[in-house]
Amino acid sequence: MLKIEDACIAYGEQELFTGLCVHIKRGEMVCISGESGSGKTSLLNAVMGFVSLTSGSITIDDLLLCEENIDQIRRKIAWIPQELALPCEWVSEMVKLPFELKANKGIHFSKKKLFEVFKELNLEEELFTKRVSEISGGQRQRIMIAVAALLEKPLLIIDEPTSALDAGSVERVLNFFNILSQKGMTILAVSHDRAFKLGCDNVIYL
Amino acid sequence: MGTIDISYENLLIGLLMMGIPMFYLWKFKTGLVKSTLIAVLRMLVQLFLIGVYLKYLFFLNHPLINFLWVFIMIIVASETALVRTRLQRKILLIPISIGFFISVVLIGTYFLGLVLQLNNIFNAQYFIPIFGILMGNMLSVNVIGLNTFYSGLQREQQEYYYLLGNGATRQEAQAPFIRQALIKAFSPCIANMAVMGLVALPGTMIGQILGGSSPNVAIKYQMMIVVITFTASMLSIMITISIASRRSFDKFGRLIRVFKEGKKNGR
Repeated sequence: MLKIEDACIAYGEQELFTGLCVHIKRGEMVCISGESGSGKTSLLNAVMGFVSLTSGSITIDDLLLCEENIDQIRRKIAWIPQELALPCEWVSEMVKLPFELKANKGIHFSKKKLFEVFKELNLEEELFTKRVSEISGGQRQRIMIAVAALLEKPLLIIDEPTSALDAGSVERVLNFFNILSQKGMTILAVSHDRAFKLGCDNVIYL
Repeated sequence: MGTIDISYENLLIGLLMMGIPMFYLWKFKTGLVKSTLIAVLRMLVQLFLIGVYLKYLFFLNHPLINFLWVFIMIIVASETALVRTRLQRKILLIPISIGFFISVVLIGTYFLGLVLQLNNIFNAQYFIPIFGILMGNMLSVNVIGLNTFYSGLQREQQEYYYLLGNGATRQEAQAPFIRQALIKAFSPCIANMAVMGLVALPGTMIGQILGGSSPNVAIKYQMMIVVITFTASMLSIMITISIASRRSFDKFGRLIRVFKEGKKNGR
């Protein structure tokens, strides 16, 4: 599903990592870990073409990441950045946003499906009609995970999915990710969380 | 019914009124006294110069010279927009100039040819003021619109990359920022349009009435001026953003550095 070959990312003189090789199979759940500034988020950004590799290559679903293929690659991805703060007033707006994109036109948004996922992530249905300012960081994080799951993309990329969650919620998110990966979704996450790392199939240390 | 001329002595008497705002600006230590003085002086010099060259433009009344004037105005307006927004010349000069040119020519000739049905649309009496008012309005809207668009993209990068990372096309990912630019640039125009004639009498109308036109004619011109300035401004900002987008993002859709050094978040 995802192949990173001999990758290096450097900003000017500062080399974040070099010679990185990663092979991730379909349905695998992989965690990237490492110290601050080691290039974890940069690696995620590189997979989506937001950061250029200094050397090496990235292949997703047999498509080489390059200018010609980048749009096709991004259509295969569901992406949740760290501490996502979209300028939406209502949770419903925030939830529906990715479903309004042409790339996701084939995916029908249904509240019923959303609430089923909400239940699995221990979220109340009422959250859907609340203002974004009225929900907690942990709730927002899980709502965005629910949205990403409904997009049914082959690859889920997520930065610090459990940073605002308590131990119980981390467990739920892990279980939820396991269900998604069993259905064939590949998950690439950056996390410092020990419990989360333990629950992944593989951990890459940068 | 002609317009009463203002003698230079009487102009000076009129300018004395500026003493009132200058006094309060000085009294409350606003720091605006010097800049107001400079602004007044610039206005006087610029308008005297415009008076001189418009006199010649009207005297010559030649289509080529009138069009040359439009070209010069487009260059001046584009440069002014770049200075005010602090956007990079190499990226934005061509998009802004093309946006201005297409809009002013299309809307200006539409109005002069189809609405006023002039035999000679290059007649300086109509051509110069109409193209001039279009340029002025397009400039203001472009400055606000471009500033909001690029500052928004810089400030809210997370939203832009969130959309792009979830499969949005470049146009879809830029759409929220274009929306913000249009809201900010056009809200004052819409508000002004809504109260036109109620709160204040608009400039074109006053000018025409002072020039001897009947109020019936003046209101029709005012309506049309509002419509053509609004339309031309919208057209120019959309053309500018559409061309600029191809030059201000790389092949991966990443925003390249559009502001000159020292400009952060559009402030």
